Amino acid sequence: MTFWEIFLQQLFNGLLIGSFYGLVAIGYSMVYGIIKLLNFAHADIYMSGAFVGLITLSLFANTFVGNAWLGIVLSLLISMLLVGMLGVLIQRVAYRPMLKAPRLSILITALAVSMLLYNTVMLLTQGQYKPFRTGLTHDSFFVGPLRLTETRVVLLVAAIALMIILHLFITRTMYGKAMRAISLDRDTCQLMGINVFQIVAITFFVGSALAAAAGIMAGVYYGTVHFYMGFLIGLKAFTSAVIGGIGIIPGAMLGGLLLGLLESFSTQIPFVGTVWKDVFSFVFLILFLLFRPTGILGRAESERM
Amino acid sequence: MLKNKNVLLLMLVAVFLVFGVFGCGGPATPPADEDAGEEPAAEFEGEVLLGIMVPTTGSEASDGGDMENAALLAVEEINAAGGVLGHKIVTSTGDDGCDPSKATAAASKLISEEVFSVVGGYCSGATLPTLKLYGDAGIPFVIAASNATTLIDENPGWAFMINSTGDAQAAKALEWFEGLGVETISLVDDGSAFSVDLKDQTKAAWEAAGYAVLTEDRVETGTQDFSAVVTKIMDAGPDAVYWTAYQGLGALLIMQLRQNGYEGIIMVGDGSSAQELIDLAGPDAEGVYCTAPPKVDFLPAAQDFISGYKEMFPREPGAYAGLMRDATYLLVDAVERAGSFDGEAIKAALAATDSFEGLSGPVEFTPQNTLNRSNFVIIVAKDGKWALAE
Repeated sequence: MTFWEIFLQQLFNGLLIGSFYGLVAIGYSMVYGIIKLLNFAHADIYMSGAFVGLITLSLFANTFVGNAWLGIVLSLLISMLLVGMLGVLIQRVAYRPMLKAPRLSILITALAVSMLLYNTVMLLTQGQYKPFRTGLTHDSFFVGPLRLTETRVVLLVAAIALMIILHLFITRTMYGKAMRAISLDRDTCQLMGINVFQIVAITFFVGSALAAAAGIMAGVYYGTVHFYMGFLIGLKAFTSAVIGGIGIIPGAMLGGLLLGLLESFSTQIPFVGTVWKDVFSFVFLILFLLFRPTGILGRAESERM
Repeated sequence: MLKNKNVLLLMLVAVFLVFGVFGCGGPATPPADEDAGEEPAAEFEGEVLLGIMVPTTGSEASDGGDMENAALLAVEEINAAGGVLGHKIVTSTGDDGCDPSKATAAASKLISEEVFSVVGGYCSGATLPTLKLYGDAGIPFVIAASNATTLIDENPGWAFMINSTGDAQAAKALEWFEGLGVETISLVDDGSAFSVDLKDQTKAAWEAAGYAVLTEDRVETGTQDFSAVVTKIMDAGPDAVYWTAYQGLGALLIMQLRQNGYEGIIMVGDGSSAQELIDLAGPDAEGVYCTAPPKVDFLPAAQDFISGYKEMFPREPGAYAGLMRDATYLLVDAVERAGSFDGEAIKAALAATDSFEGLSGPVEFTPQNTLNRSNFVIIVAKDGKWALAE
């Protein structure tokens, strides 16, 4: 392969993994923006989403023979709904009663929810990897020098579409406006008659549903799911949210793409390779944050959402 | 009042966390003492406690569970035949979770329970820190599966490895690649002690034989995306790719290599020799080779063991069940030769083992307490099952 062929291939690899990071990062960022909580359980929501997707997909296994995508889209929507509700439930049980408590307490309940989800799925699956069979073939085709499969293109487009829909939701609807308002000043919003608890619940629903979507897309793309699958991507998505400017949604998307591209390209640098790629990416990020502590889109005094 | 409420909440959280953490340690441990009431005939002078150290949770819980089952089965057979030196064997399992810190905790637990010996050891990285602990406590340790060469240097003399070490596996891989006419290879590991060891051994053997290693890459445990690695390998275009770590990630690598159009030979190390690899990777696994430990399925001597295993546990014995059974029998054999449960005596008897006939072949040790022969075989994925490669 020539330099440009590798460049294009790694660009595409980076965009795809980066869009997964971005989808998960949005959930971290939204929740932080609205209630200033680092939601540790978010990575496990992503993992739970993949498993709920696996279950719903197996229910449709015999319904849509010959049209794999229809089954995938249907199970994606159902799982987003279910996992979104799981997010709301977690918020109601573990976070809402803690909103007036010291910030550290709610951090600990988040950690506890994470442990609960993680261990539950581990026990249910006996710690084993589970195959995620979709019935999709992986016949590849070339666009110029770039080797693509239908799956990869559809997933990348879907991830970007979800981000655009979310962006429109935040900027063009009353609910979105209420979210932005709450992130500015919760108490005043309450005085102005905004149902803060309801908006917080909606925020959790949207963030969790997006994480579930990312989880299922990862299942479709990689072909296996595992109780451990959320851990690393959770860390990286959280990093993405911070690089982008935590609390700012377009920032989370940009941060995700940046991290994905960094990882993908750093493997091509001699002496960095796959062994040192994470060291390289994170050193870069430390330097970046030293010079721009508020992240790509963050400003010292900005509206967070 | 408010303070009290906070304290209460904190305590609740603490309970929650403890529940979560220890939730890791508990599961998948088949009842070890179930057979307590099933021996009406045999009269025992007393009971002795045998330690089993395998990962029963975590990413390698599947193989670890098989090994634990194999040991339980062997112990039941031995007890039914009158036990060892008139004593009934009872077992205690320490879960090493394929993790060095958990393994240290598991070893400490077994030592404090005063086991007379330990069998087990699956992940070399997890086994490594326990060698000194068992050595200091004077407890003989028969290692059934772990086989990184790094274990040899750290062994204070109390551990005995009945699986061939990494260099024997690398030699087998080299031999098979040469037979296939392979000239260039790419190596991929997951950063674990065992996989890095096998990678280094293979690289050394391969380059010593005058061939080229085109790329060496690493993927992290817990990651799913190997696209950057795959692009590098595709660019280098090796005749064969050798994956030296475990099946969960191995299946991902195989699928992503094939999806990206890699058509060369793929071979995996013994960590990936479970049926799970084929189940996960599906049709992409067809034709994948594996340098495997002597699995019971391929051992004519093991047919009774397999049927006994399936009778007792509702699953197939995994890749290391046979070795674990051999480890347990070898230990009992050594105790009988030693004539006591004294650690020093058992250790001396183990070192003096002379042509012990296990399911996986004869066991004899080198002065370094490693198996004195290579016991690896090459298997190939064919029609969704592993079969002995000819």
